Amino acid sequence: MIERRPARQVMRLKRLGSLHQCRLSFMRQLTRRMASENWTFERMVFDIDAAGVGHAVYATTGPDRSYSLVAFAHDLPDDMRSDRVIATAWDTTFALFDGTPTADDIERLSKNVPFQEAGRISESELTLSRANRSMRLWSHVVSALASGQQPDPAQIEAVGYLMRTTAVYGSGKFGAADRATYAKRPEFQSPFQAELLTVYLIRWFVRDLIEHMARVQGGASAVPLAPAIARQLGIGNSTGLGMAPFLINHPVLFNNWIMAREEAIARVRRIPEASPLEVSTFEALFVRTKVSVARWRSEHPIQIEKLADLRRDLGKLEARLANGVLNQKDPWNSLYRWGEGNLSEEGQELVASLMLEAYPELTDGLASCMTDAREDALALDGSASVAQTRGQLETAFGWAKEVDWHEQTNCARAWYVSEEKLEPRLGERFQEPIADYEQPLAPARDAVAALKDLENWNPDAPIAEFLETHPEHRHTVRRAQVVEFAPYSEIQDNTISSEVMPIDMLRAKLSFFGATHFDPRSDRWVRICMYAGAPYPEDLTPETSDLWVYPEAAP
Amino acid sequence: MSFSLNEVEAQAKKATRGAGYSWGMAEEAGRATAWLCAQGRDGVAVLAAVLDAAPDADHCSLAQGTRLCDRAKIAPSQNRVLHRVFQPLLLLPFVGFASRQIGQPLSITWEGGSAVTDGASLCILGRDPDAQADLAIAIHAGTFTAGTKFTRATPDSSAWDMLSQFAHRTYAPATEESRRLGAGDSQSNAL
Repeated sequence: MIERRPARQVMRLKRLGSLHQCRLSFMRQLTRRMASENWTFERMVFDIDAAGVGHAVYATTGPDRSYSLVAFAHDLPDDMRSDRVIATAWDTTFALFDGTPTADDIERLSKNVPFQEAGRISESELTLSRANRSMRLWSHVVSALASGQQPDPAQIEAVGYLMRTTAVYGSGKFGAADRATYAKRPEFQSPFQAELLTVYLIRWFVRDLIEHMARVQGGASAVPLAPAIARQLGIGNSTGLGMAPFLINHPVLFNNWIMAREEAIARVRRIPEASPLEVSTFEALFVRTKVSVARWRSEHPIQIEKLADLRRDLGKLEARLANGVLNQKDPWNSLYRWGEGNLSEEGQELVASLMLEAYPELTDGLASCMTDAREDALALDGSASVAQTRGQLETAFGWAKEVDWHEQTNCARAWYVSEEKLEPRLGERFQEPIADYEQPLAPARDAVAALKDLENWNPDAPIAEFLETHPEHRHTVRRAQVVEFAPYSEIQDNTISSEVMPIDMLRAKLSFFGATHFDPRSDRWVRICMYAGAPYPEDLTPETSDLWVYPEAAP
Repeated sequence: MSFSLNEVEAQAKKATRGAGYSWGMAEEAGRATAWLCAQGRDGVAVLAAVLDAAPDADHCSLAQGTRLCDRAKIAPSQNRVLHRVFQPLLLLPFVGFASRQIGQPLSITWEGGSAVTDGASLCILGRDPDAQADLAIAIHAGTFTAGTKFTRATPDSSAWDMLSQFAHRTYAPATEESRRLGAGDSQSNAL
């Protein structure tokens, strides 16, 4: 029987930093649901002037409720445009309103949403967000449309989006509704559905906004964006260090994402024989994947190398498929095993994700396991024995005992929050006075320290006794107890070494969102594209709602 | 001002860490404070009073509460008496968490009043406990009337400010060195 892959293989930073979207990705879950439930969409207000300033309301209605994107468009001087979390002005700002806003709600939001972190929103709002124009593409597209032309396809392909979000806040931030208040709604049970609905509606608004600006400039000669070009455009996103700690701070949730995908991969690998339809589904999407990978650009040396490997992998895979590997017995396991021996981790994970496409009935139901319903019900069990706790720590962090944690390169970095920016940063422990402010984001080092202190304790003693003497190990013991039922909860690598690449954590998280075309801009922030290829509301049907992430191959 | 319970939890955790507790204890304080606010009590004010007074562990409701919860399944919680606990309201969430672990509601009695909780809900009868009080904890047989639950908190603003001051101690002061090494390298707007 083929089991799920071991955590020691999956939970390494290099592999997590090579993950790709799949059927379980949160964007695809959302578009499939909206289409199958026949959600309706309506532009309620578009009150934006010739300077591009004003507000708009875009509403969508599902089986039980409506949600409205309240958008504010601003006239931002170019020199104020920044993707940093600490920026104070943006081209556009947004809130996702729970229901249909009244004029008073709009008035209240207009005094807060444009100020983002410096404003306050309320329990009626589910998310708070902002986006900046792509300087390169925006003015080109406006001028082209204004003069009656379509934009240059090469430029569209090179950038991929007209605007990029620099934050999409949810879960109670800045006064928004807590996730707990809406997590039981079927449409929001899966993670980040409210945030990704926000982005989906933003993309719709952005298309309208750029056509509006083209009409302002070109008058009667202006033309709308050709549907095929509009569809290719996604919403960009800049993700920085702030997102990296999320995976460490939500071990159960992260486990559930990884576990769902690993279970799906194991199920497909167990299939003894693939039908002709299943083989052709895989092969057709493989062709479309090649188009997507061809469009994937990065200037970052590490990603350039990874992309070169991936392109080579696709060539090898093509030859392998031509040899009829999928017509043999145990086709998917054979393919997967071959990949392990012959492809880079980028390639292996791409194959693993792509294998799931032919088997929605084995995969899609696992989506319901990707949330963490029990997180706040979880109290530490002080009756667990010292021996049990040691065992749990050994399971996830046994490897870390081999690391010399006093060696400077192994603890060169420290995660901290700076007074200046109030955002997570990764500093140099031996060059900056930050060690006293370190956040608990080095679980492996902390586990080894706890194991050392546990050595002298009676194995049968309850861990509660140990914690009374060693409260500094409390967070580590809590994590150990999670490992008991969540094997993929811990990153099994050093998160503070001189070599650590925070972009690996960002990539892992964003791949589950369904993002593509990861483009690291340094070792600690990454640009991505969301919803590129997705149907706009007027084209959203069960037929278009799922495979949009794979661009159609040129005829 | 109205805060989400997530904001309360994050603020309480940071403040507790800033006051010198371990990260694990800070997590407990965050959960407990948000739990009190969900029951309609000003958990922020209670935690601020504890952090401000910094009572010794034997009389600290955060330390005693954590201890009680950790031992819920080891030593049965009935007929436990705690002496001169400072800010006893902060013990209630932990009694609630303990109750959830053993699957039975627990009662807490003090002079002039009492409370019952099953971890999800809380019922307080009589007057609130004094700032420092003796408490008796026992298994609660029978039913109880659950109080109203809340999804927002409107804490006392000076208590919130006090937590902000404690939280501030967790932030590393900016130095020339850190600006130069820059965790937040310049994300340009070149595109």
